[in-house]
Amino acid sequence: MSASVPTATLHPPKRGAISIRGITRIFTGSTPAVDHVDLEIHAGEFFTLLGPSGCGKTTLLRMLAGFETPDEGKILISGKDMEDVPAHKRAVNTVFQSYALFPHLNVEQNIGFGLRMKGVKTPERKKRVNAVMEMMQIGQFATRSAAQLSGGQRQRVALARALVNEPDVVLLDEPLSALDAKLRSELQIELLRMQKRLGMTFIFVTHDQHEALVMSDRIGVMSQGRLEQVGPVLDVYEKPRNVFVAEFLGLSNIWPITPTGPHSAASPIGELGIAAPLNGASMAMIRPEKIWIYNDTAVPKDRANLFLGTVREAIYMGASTQYRIELAGGQSVLAFDTNNQAAERSWRPGEPVAVELKPDNIMLISP
Amino acid sequence: MIPRGVRYALSGISWPLYALLYTPLALVAYYSFAPAPNEAGHSLHAYNLLLHDGDVFSALRRSLILAIGSAITSTALGTLLGYGLCRFRTPNAKGVLAHIPSLIIYTPIIMPSLVFGISELIFFNLVHNATGMLGAGLETMIIAHITFQVPYVALTVYARLAGLDRYLFDAANDLYANGLKSFLYLIIPLVQPAIIGGFMLGITLSIDDFTISFFTSGPGSVTLPIYIYGAIARKGISPEINAIGTLMIGTIILLALIHFFITRHRDRAGQFAARGSIS
Amino acid sequence: MSGALKTEQEIEAGRQRLRLWVTSGPGLVWIMLFLLIPSAVLLGIAFFSSDDYGAPVLPLSVQPFQQVAGYSLLGWDPGNITIFLRSLGQAGTATLVSAALSYPLVFFILSQREDLRPLLLLFIVLPSWTNQVVRTYAWLELLGPNAPVSWAAHLLHAVPPDLGLAPGSFAVTTGLAYNYLPYMIVPLYASAEKLDWTLVEAGRDLYASGLRLFWHAVFPQTLPGLLSGVIFVAIPAFGDYVVPQLLGGDKALMIGSLIANQFTETPDWPYGAALTIIMLVFTGMGLVGFRILTRKLGGAEEVTI
Repeated sequence: MSASVPTATLHPPKRGAISIRGITRIFTGSTPAVDHVDLEIHAGEFFTLLGPSGCGKTTLLRMLAGFETPDEGKILISGKDMEDVPAHKRAVNTVFQSYALFPHLNVEQNIGFGLRMKGVKTPERKKRVNAVMEMMQIGQFATRSAAQLSGGQRQRVALARALVNEPDVVLLDEPLSALDAKLRSELQIELLRMQKRLGMTFIFVTHDQHEALVMSDRIGVMSQGRLEQVGPVLDVYEKPRNVFVAEFLGLSNIWPITPTGPHSAASPIGELGIAAPLNGASMAMIRPEKIWIYNDTAVPKDRANLFLGTVREAIYMGASTQYRIELAGGQSVLAFDTNNQAAERSWRPGEPVAVELKPDNIMLISP
Repeated sequence: MIPRGVRYALSGISWPLYALLYTPLALVAYYSFAPAPNEAGHSLHAYNLLLHDGDVFSALRRSLILAIGSAITSTALGTLLGYGLCRFRTPNAKGVLAHIPSLIIYTPIIMPSLVFGISELIFFNLVHNATGMLGAGLETMIIAHITFQVPYVALTVYARLAGLDRYLFDAANDLYANGLKSFLYLIIPLVQPAIIGGFMLGITLSIDDFTISFFTSGPGSVTLPIYIYGAIARKGISPEINAIGTLMIGTIILLALIHFFITRHRDRAGQFAARGSIS
Repeated sequence: MSGALKTEQEIEAGRQRLRLWVTSGPGLVWIMLFLLIPSAVLLGIAFFSSDDYGAPVLPLSVQPFQQVAGYSLLGWDPGNITIFLRSLGQAGTATLVSAALSYPLVFFILSQREDLRPLLLLFIVLPSWTNQVVRTYAWLELLGPNAPVSWAAHLLHAVPPDLGLAPGSFAVTTGLAYNYLPYMIVPLYASAEKLDWTLVEAGRDLYASGLRLFWHAVFPQTLPGLLSGVIFVAIPAFGDYVVPQLLGGDKALMIGSLIANQFTETPDWPYGAALTIIMLVFTGMGLVGFRILTRKLGGAEEVTI
């Protein structure tokens, strides 16, 4: 305890900062749901836990809320150890996937429930509930029951019910997954604005990589109870650490490589020039949108990593087209091309093309 | 879904069946307005006799004590039982032990009421002979009625709780409600319809029952059904018996309809709670 | 580390067990004390001899079971076998009748507006909430001598004059079907409500006639409900006491009355207990048989706790 005092005074823990140290949760008779996770979440940031279902992200969130007790490790919220703090005493509020609105209460009472349990007196409570309802634009539904609301409205009520308590941290467990695509993208933006305006720490759990990219300051990618990579959105997407992260966040071309020189390696598609130092790396990855496609008649000269091939598949996706190009050796690469000049720059299956994989754009990853 | 011709046929069969269901009950009511001896037409003679029949009134009083007393106790026991099994049983527990509570709960439901009644008769008899307590009477009847009501109340409460979005409990916990506050402000209001429903069911089962009452009653604890049964066995059906029957049928139908229409709008909210995220 | 972890989980599990016992304990103990122990005592009595007053005494004996089979000092008598078979027959007929009535009723309710259905269902269940004795003797009014139905039956030469349809076997079957109809309707309705109508639509192309369509596309889907209904009707009907007592008369004695007599009018507890065991064995076999059948047919489980 005394050892931690100087550091605490040097860097006073901010309200809403979270420190997760070696957290493990094992459900009886199975592999760990959360396996020795270390994670620092900064105060006021929008942090997303991303991973497939069953990866442990929800369990981790539930331990932060206090619904689950970790078997090992420590959780500090705003610098306080949460070990003996039960869920109902934590300055943390959750927005549930199912919203979990109380069916016996109307919208107003739902939102005021937390304040009522904390013992906030009626006039004060009413003021705060009204303020948050106005902010969320749900004032006109105040006396409706949850059953009478649409999905989007329920989502707003659920968020309002968390925000009205002015918690240090808001936990969001896939709150948008039940909504349709359009409403979902509207609420993504709204949620983000709300978070920036209030400056609270938001921890958002999702399995949707697109959602994670749109909303987060930083992402933590989870798989089988472990944190695979943590970092700013751009870093995690552009420089995935391993195959799992690369494949989970978007499409990618991945090949095993064997280094043949300081900046060159043999791969199934041929010899690759790679800008980054190889250091014995065994896998290389390139995102489809980082691949240049040329007509075979207009192939530039003197470039590294140029491969000839034939378009086998062209999937038009509006803003861009996704191509599968079979190279001379029989291997396929996936490439995107924007449709900004669709008329001149699009290829049909069967057309011969050349692709360029710029050495800068090839990332080294671990298996 | 159902072709129009079939619909007409179904209506043609069903409405007469509905009528048939109520015909015997209606006849009871009809014969209750029989005239006094040596008179003609209809009259309230039988009801007039009832009003001055002390035996009937004490039987009614016992029936009410039996129904309400047993239903209150079984509602308390059954609510706790259903709540405990739903919330505190280890999930996915395996082995023989895990099934014991279910076996215990289903026994009173599947046991034929005759066997139920006779078991109680013998048990109370033996206990009475050995200790002098639990002589056949209203007391033993109440005990027996509680026993067959508890499982129904427990199942009603359990079904309500199990059908709720389980995250509601987390949500209350998350919003600063400790165990006691969750119980008071979330669980009680949510389960209240089931508790009331369980209580009503208990009353209904108690009033409906004859067999178990018959074997657990003593000479001093004649309730209305036993009174009717005895009267029929002794001297056949009389207008007075029909009058009691009519009042019982009328009361039950009235109570059932009131309960149905009161709980109707509540059920809608309940269905929403049960559906959870599916919108 | 792992030792500490273990105890932490054990403490939590212990706490959970305590909560379970505090809440569920009283109810479970109550049922054990006032039903499981008494019925165990009843079954045990079947293995005793009886004294002059019909009470159980030592030594242990199989005589009660011999009595059940029809052997007595006077030789063998088929009376009990007859009663058993009659009870089976009555219960079976009542089950068939209630099933036959339930199908049109259930699909009639389903063909009505959704908000009317609960009310229509309620009106089927309602009569069964009135007292057993009242709703059973009510049939005496309808079927008894000089009542309208008996008079009509007399005109058709179905019954001799002065004798009504009740008491008698017909009245018992009717009474049983009437008493237990809701127990058939409710599970059948539950499974018919979940009916997958797309299968019926698909079947419409395959099967020309409505009956074949019903038989191939609708009936199999309602089978789980029907089987539950059969159990819920047949078991209590088999051992019913009130209906044969009030509507049966002397000619239609059923197992229930026979058992009851051994504890009331002509006491012989061990004999009555032995009869009870045989009855429970029959119901148990029926129950298990239908469970196996339901599972084989892939039927849905009922609500289980």
